[in-house]
Amino acid sequence: MKLKITIFTAILCLSPFFDIFAEESQFKGEITLTGLFRDINGNEAKFKEYNDLRNGAYGRVRLNYDTEKYFMDFKADDIAYDTQNYRLGGGMWGKFKADIYYDEFPHNFTFGARSFYQGIGGNFLTYPGAAPSLNISTWNEFDYSVKRKNYGGGFKLEMLKPFYFDVSASREERDGLYPIGVSLRSPGGPALEQLAMPIDYKTTNIKLEGGYAKKPFFFSFSYLYSQFENDNNKLFFRNPAAAPGVTTPDIFTLPPDNHYFKLAFKGAVKLPMNSKFSTNLAFSRAKSEADLVSYYLNNAGAVTPLTLSDPKFNGKIDTQNYDFVLSSNPISFLEGKIFYKHYKTSNKSDQIVTTDITSIPPTEVNDLFDYKKDTVGVELGFKLPAKFYLNTFYHYIKTKREREDIPENKDDLYSVELRWNGLDFMLPKVGYERLNRRAKFEGSTDPNDIEFWVRRFDAAAKIRDTYKVSIDISPIENLNFGVVYKHKKTDYRDTIVGLTDEKSNLINIDGDFTIGKFVKLFGYFGYERIDSNQFQRQFAAPPPANAGNPITGPTSATRFNWDAKQKEKEYDYGIGAEIYAIPKKLTFVLQHDYVRSNGLVNYTVFRALNPGETQDNIDLPAWDDYRQDSYMIKAVYNVVKGLSLTLGYAYERFNYKDAQYEGFRYTVGAFPANNTSALTGAYTKPSYSTNLVFMGATYKF
Amino acid sequence: MGKRISVFISVLFAFLLVLITQSSVKGDSQYIGSEACKDCHGDYYKSFIKSIHNKRVIPGTPVNRDGCESCHGPGAQHAEKGGGRGVAILAFGRKVDAKTKSSMCLNCHGDSKQMAFWDMSKHRSTSISCDNCHTVHSMKEKNLKAMDPELCFGCHTAIKIRANKQSRHPIKEGKTRCYACHNPHGSFGTKMIKADGVNELCYKCHAEKRGPFMWQHAPVEENCLNCHTPHGSNHLKLLTAKPPLLCQSCHDASQHPGTIYTRLQTFQGGAPSNRMYARSCLNCHSNIHGSVGPAFPRGRAQVR
Repeated sequence: MKLKITIFTAILCLSPFFDIFAEESQFKGEITLTGLFRDINGNEAKFKEYNDLRNGAYGRVRLNYDTEKYFMDFKADDIAYDTQNYRLGGGMWGKFKADIYYDEFPHNFTFGARSFYQGIGGNFLTYPGAAPSLNISTWNEFDYSVKRKNYGGGFKLEMLKPFYFDVSASREERDGLYPIGVSLRSPGGPALEQLAMPIDYKTTNIKLEGGYAKKPFFFSFSYLYSQFENDNNKLFFRNPAAAPGVTTPDIFTLPPDNHYFKLAFKGAVKLPMNSKFSTNLAFSRAKSEADLVSYYLNNAGAVTPLTLSDPKFNGKIDTQNYDFVLSSNPISFLEGKIFYKHYKTSNKSDQIVTTDITSIPPTEVNDLFDYKKDTVGVELGFKLPAKFYLNTFYHYIKTKREREDIPENKDDLYSVELRWNGLDFMLPKVGYERLNRRAKFEGSTDPNDIEFWVRRFDAAAKIRDTYKVSIDISPIENLNFGVVYKHKKTDYRDTIVGLTDEKSNLINIDGDFTIGKFVKLFGYFGYERIDSNQFQRQFAAPPPANAGNPITGPTSATRFNWDAKQKEKEYDYGIGAEIYAIPKKLTFVLQHDYVRSNGLVNYTVFRALNPGETQDNIDLPAWDDYRQDSYMIKAVYNVVKGLSLTLGYAYERFNYKDAQYEGFRYTVGAFPANNTSALTGAYTKPSYSTNLVFMGATYKF
Repeated sequence: MGKRISVFISVLFAFLLVLITQSSVKGDSQYIGSEACKDCHGDYYKSFIKSIHNKRVIPGTPVNRDGCESCHGPGAQHAEKGGGRGVAILAFGRKVDAKTKSSMCLNCHGDSKQMAFWDMSKHRSTSISCDNCHTVHSMKEKNLKAMDPELCFGCHTAIKIRANKQSRHPIKEGKTRCYACHNPHGSFGTKMIKADGVNELCYKCHAEKRGPFMWQHAPVEENCLNCHTPHGSNHLKLLTAKPPLLCQSCHDASQHPGTIYTRLQTFQGGAPSNRMYARSCLNCHSNIHGSVGPAFPRGRAQVR
């Protein structure tokens, strides 16, 4: 019966297409088959981070059917590979559109990771025997990778214009393993285990929207519902630091299921004097539910029970957003807008009282964070004499948040940009922006408490100046050239401990040049340098009372100030050419891209140096350093009209060096001691080099 | 009095006559029809008749109005003067004001949800016109001059450079696009994002981070961009800086948060520390985006 209903429904849906072949039509398409031969040395996961390039044949299809009344499109790429995607769309011109799609791709992190745990992929990890094996060759091998599958469809009704109605639904499934880590002892300690967290997520989205669009009015109502489901809400694992005889597993909590909906109204109305009023009113609610864990393993590895005021946590956050914008162009040389935006989250989640009679203090309650942001602004654009154009804006932003240290910010954001349209072939621009953030500090009032000195950069008072200069030049139709320079400097003016200042300089050059009908040259160059400084204090807990005071506090081997100067330099360029050796018949494509990044952390410790320590040998000279080169040469030969052949070769090399991964070891320490850390190899040795040969044929009809 | 009335009526009559004449000129003699364009602009004409603009079943399309002249304006003078780029015709070239060009498109497309908030768009205020990205003669998807992201990278060159960095979204692979996050036609969000706030946008794909969690990390709840940069980073996970220094710039306290972790605490140093090597702070604080773990040991610290 269900089948009959399905078939009947499908026929009903297709009924508008019954006369599809009855009129003059246009059917066209493209089919490509590409063979790939690949050779790789080194880390395959990094090379295949978001792709599935392997030896084999790749298919690509494009079909389009178009009549005076109807249309249909079909697209397919990488058929049968982990990056395959399909889309089928169609409809009646001016009446409706509908589409369905399927898309998948991997996110590969590390292949060949190792762990002594059994049960990888599930939510219970254990190992045989009394203690984990130290012999890494006996460990289980697995891949850290997450595959995403996304499918859905949509329908747009246009036949009732100016009214419209859209509906869409999608579902994303993620499946795989992701690296996480846990400290073995509570509340931390020197040892950790890296674990393979199972990813088994499903997110379903449904969106409905209806509205009216006919000048002078526009309005729409929309409803979005999203549901996130996680098949594993907890990861159970046998903790090697558990006391002898303790068989109760330790628990790492995974993201809880959640539901979300959003209701929104958007509207706009045209007003006299070339003005328009627009508004956006939205309300959303996110809810989650989690079964709480009622025990933990204490420092001795024993099970410690917890008393919870409620065994379930119900999360609930409401968000309200209101935008009101008046934009206007009352006179030819002036345009602008004024706006107000209100954004507020209200955290109505449960506050759970957790009691542990062995702890001091014995109870703990979760805080409920929420915040409110109000923004008012004015933006003005002036058409000046001599074809100058001046854009300016001022935004005032006030943020209030439920936070102990900095509950309030007031931001003044100014910007001015001047551009000149005096010459048709050139567009120079110069701009300046200043952010002046004031922060209301309500943290510690005791200078001996380090919190008195700490200013967290996300909310700290700061002045940020940004300068930007750019020019686009097209002296002739076939030549385009652009240069951009940007300088940004941020001074966290009230910060003593924490991030104190940042500076970045960026230059980009981009251009292309077509020489007659024979060659097109293109290239780009980018250079960016980022410098940041932070000042910190290392100390053990008081006494002395001023142990945490960076100004008057003591200086010793364990209590001292230090700073870190981070530098990042990145070069990036690419050059290429399309050579039309035989115009419209034979084309060669050459391309070379290069990226290089050098990072450095320059530490200074403000205390007497320890034996064997210098101010230089503590620095980190390799800080996410990498270099990527790629080369590609391709020939495209149009055999006959509609049929083309492609032959190409590509080479890519990625070299990575980083202080945190150099000399990687799977274990640090020795089992069964509680100070042993065991890693799985996540993110290690990402360097690779690869050769790719590809050949293909494309048939267009 | 009667004389004044006569003068007024005469002036009014003359004014109406001028108006009628103007209207007549616009309606009849200045418009010459698409067939006339075909003779000189054969290729453009061919692309026009194959395009959606030539669909008679769609109300308001150029073919139902004045054909080529719906967008380019009346062509009589252009033809009379022997043609030429921009001669007595709107050729959508560089010399034409952005607003003038866009207004031709908005005559029809202004009545759509896509363009409803164009007036608020940063693109509009920086004199970007429809024809910077679209051409009705391209025959490509959405009549774009190039596909996203190449189209966007044409102007946003700094973003192009960022998208080449080692940690990035799968933009180059075509698995996400600029328009997945941004609305080039204008929106209420900053940077023309398709959401009311940054986190709302991120949670569209990263729904597992939505919570709500029992133990929250305030900067995470307020703005993902406090720690992440969306277009590309030299550091894993699109982080703005690398742990432990990223974390320590906020968390300095007694014991390990304020401790300096140097080369000596790496695998190759004399005293390797799990607070430094591999993923540093994230080795233990894996639930950094929020946790529903037990208060003890430190759900608050996002270690379970």
